[in-house]
Amino acid sequence: MDERLSKALEFGNYSTTLENQKRMLHEKFITDTLYFFNGGQFSITKELINYVFVLQSTGQDTTVIVDDNNIPIQIENVEQFYSNIADKFFTATNEYHIQYEKLQSARSVDGLVK
Amino acid sequence: MTRGVVLFAHNNEQIDYVAQACFLAKRIKHFMDLPTTIVTDDKQRVLKYYNGANVFDNIIVSNPNIKNKKTYNDGSLSKKVLDFKNYNRSDVYDITPYDETLVMDTDYIISNNLLANCNHDLMLYKNSLDVSGWRDDSEFRLISETSIDFYWATVIFFRKTKENKMFFDLVKHIKENYAHYRLLYQITSTVFRNDYAFSIAAAIMKNVVDLPGKMVYTTARDILHKVADDELTMLVEKQDRVGEYTLLKSKGTNLHVMNKFSLNRMIQG
Repeated sequence: MDERLSKALEFGNYSTTLENQKRMLHEKFITDTLYFFNGGQFSITKELINYVFVLQSTGQDTTVIVDDNNIPIQIENVEQFYSNIADKFFTATNEYHIQYEKLQSARSVDGLVK
Repeated sequence: MTRGVVLFAHNNEQIDYVAQACFLAKRIKHFMDLPTTIVTDDKQRVLKYYNGANVFDNIIVSNPNIKNKKTYNDGSLSKKVLDFKNYNRSDVYDITPYDETLVMDTDYIISNNLLANCNHDLMLYKNSLDVSGWRDDSEFRLISETSIDFYWATVIFFRKTKENKMFFDLVKHIKENYAHYRLLYQITSTVFRNDYAFSIAAAIMKNVVDLPGKMVYTTARDILHKVADDELTMLVEKQDRVGEYTLLKSKGTNLHVMNKFSLNRMIQG
């Protein structure tokens, strides 16, 4: 096989694998940012964190937040809730970043799935 | 309040579902710390060859009697038509020993404890993700082009409630009258599928809540290569290249492995 074609095919393989790994990593990040509280399921987003932060900052101790299944969930301790979601989100984001950087620095298919 | 997992395992000529159930039960214990009950038609085999008494909380004997025929792929180049005994899944409400039950297909590989967070009376997966990223997944979004939402019967969580008794009775009714319901809901396949029966019941009763996360799956055209703790390595079919694969690794993600041959090869080493 012509070396130019061989290299291009190898790169094609690498690109496909990289995209697949990125997709799996993102999926894991989404799962890692699910927070379960008081019977509710919350996808932790920047919006949710901001909203709860505002509640906390304006002195609200308790509140009701609608969860992923459109069920209103009573939050008895807003400060604790904020702390938990922020912690979970930062942990998941950091892990996502570390694993993403590993992918970016891998230069072969083997390296991507190591 | 007791909580546990129920697995249905009926071997056919070539697929060892009991071995898959043993493999899965150990992972359920490891990642979710839940007991597992196996429902099988061959209790002696489970005890004699699989050390079943140590793996399972309970062994329940149930014979599905009726067999389906199904095409089983092993990668994109090999396929076989084999028996498929899936008729007793809807009996789970009556036979489960638990107040809160997770039912799983034996080809579902648990790698985290996400499903420990189930907290509604009846939960199934509606959203799914094909690991390939390029295949048409419309068959897993609606049960037919002009019909209702597709729900996976691969994983089910339910509590013993009056409404859920009605739900599972309805699934049995749909199963017994599948020829009628198949036409009513424009399902093209004549082969009975639990996914369809549960989807129809969900559409009628409207009491199903989505399970947390997504049903992540590899099709039977992919090949499971290796499982090491929570890391799974697989070969995923390439787009427009029949018989060629791309490596893929997942970590900490529950995965539905439809290629049962490759799952059995991996389990048997």
